[in-house]
Amino acid sequence: MKKQVIIFQLNDEPVEIYVDPAESLLTVLRDRLGLYGTKAGCSKGECGACTVLLDDRAVNSCLVPVGKVQGCKVETIENLSRGGKVHPIQEEFVDKGAVQCGFCTPGMVLSAYALLKENPQPARDQIKMAISGNLCRCSGYKQIEEAILSAAKKLARQGNSIT
Amino acid sequence: MSYLTVSTLEEALTSLSDSSGKARVVAGATDLFLQDLPHSLVDLSALPEITVVEEKDGLISIGAAVTHTAAASSSLILARARALAEGCSAVGSPQIRNIGTIGGNVINAAPAADAAVALISLGAEAVLIDVNRETRQEAVENLYWTYNRSLVDSSKEILLRLLVKPCLGGEGSAFTRFAVRRALALPMVNAAARVKLENGLVKKVRLVAAPVRPAPTRLIQTEELVINQPVDKDTLKRVEVSAAGEVEVRGSQLRCSARYRQHLVGVLIARALKIAADRADPGKAGD
Repeated sequence: MKKQVIIFQLNDEPVEIYVDPAESLLTVLRDRLGLYGTKAGCSKGECGACTVLLDDRAVNSCLVPVGKVQGCKVETIENLSRGGKVHPIQEEFVDKGAVQCGFCTPGMVLSAYALLKENPQPARDQIKMAISGNLCRCSGYKQIEEAILSAAKKLARQGNSIT
Repeated sequence: MSYLTVSTLEEALTSLSDSSGKARVVAGATDLFLQDLPHSLVDLSALPEITVVEEKDGLISIGAAVTHTAAASSSLILARARALAEGCSAVGSPQIRNIGTIGGNVINAAPAADAAVALISLGAEAVLIDVNRETRQEAVENLYWTYNRSLVDSSKEILLRLLVKPCLGGEGSAFTRFAVRRALALPMVNAAARVKLENGLVKKVRLVAAPVRPAPTRLIQTEELVINQPVDKDTLKRVEVSAAGEVEVRGSQLRCSARYRQHLVGVLIARALKIAADRADPGKAGD
């Protein structure tokens, strides 16, 4: 398609790019904006490694034509660390050994982040459902579930809002 | 040409007319984006009139651009069209359901699309408008041309909403499926039922299974078999045999053999009917 100007909010900052609107949000994030935290896995919506938040909902960025994000809010894994400090969800992923090869981790963390934004005290089944679109081929799901449960408790204890 | 996110229906129809067949409408784009993209896309996902679920003139009206996530959590759909909430929560993964729409599930015309199977069991009708501003209403099962091809030409026509008669007293619905995994797996078979009971006997029923033919398929002989019968163990056994006997299915190297699929049609249709009947008559649930 012919290039267009696409304006959207990316990690709380306005972004304006001149791009083919049929290009995927995933390639725009990685190859044009240099945000490599979003991983390119299957590129067909099956693995969840490219998960980002679009208007607060987890989506596969590989399936989003960038034309679609015109005027929307996009959040990537880079937005979770603030002032040199990682997010409590990320802390718990480290503490619980929920990171093996690490390729699925940004997507997993963002699915957890989307869940906890909507439901700060999820049951284990709700956690399983929330990460059901994220494949971990090291098969460390148990530790990932533990990390999310424990992040929810930690956030509640600290009385912190998720963001 | 371009990617245009429209904010009014008029704008959408005008863009389609102006591009004389070269543009097509899109909503969630999760299916379309994996295919060859057309020259130009008209994105409907922000059209206010097709992104709401509401009760209107005694019917549940579901906008075509309502996402699967929104439909699955709508209190109206959960209370009055439960099969649809269940079908929508079975689609893809949370990431797909958050952006993929009910209208797309129908127009993409996959033979065993979970939301479409539920809609057809509920007797849903589709409301469409074309570039000449003419509207029509069609039963959802009549929108299929062949495998993965809809009769709706999305360069000329827009699916606006789906209308479902709510399940009221004595009525219930249910959706069931069986797949290799519980997420991100196409079903070997999915099935859905809507039933109306009076004095414990079936007065009206719709039983739908897929993939059987290009469109989710009503099992008419099995429906006739259960009319005026109680939904008890004996009836369910006969339903299982009848449903499996009524379909001719294809096997798939990735999913399952034809024989197993045929067996599953029987099992899942009986299961959907049982759950729908329990919901129609909550006093008897769990028999």
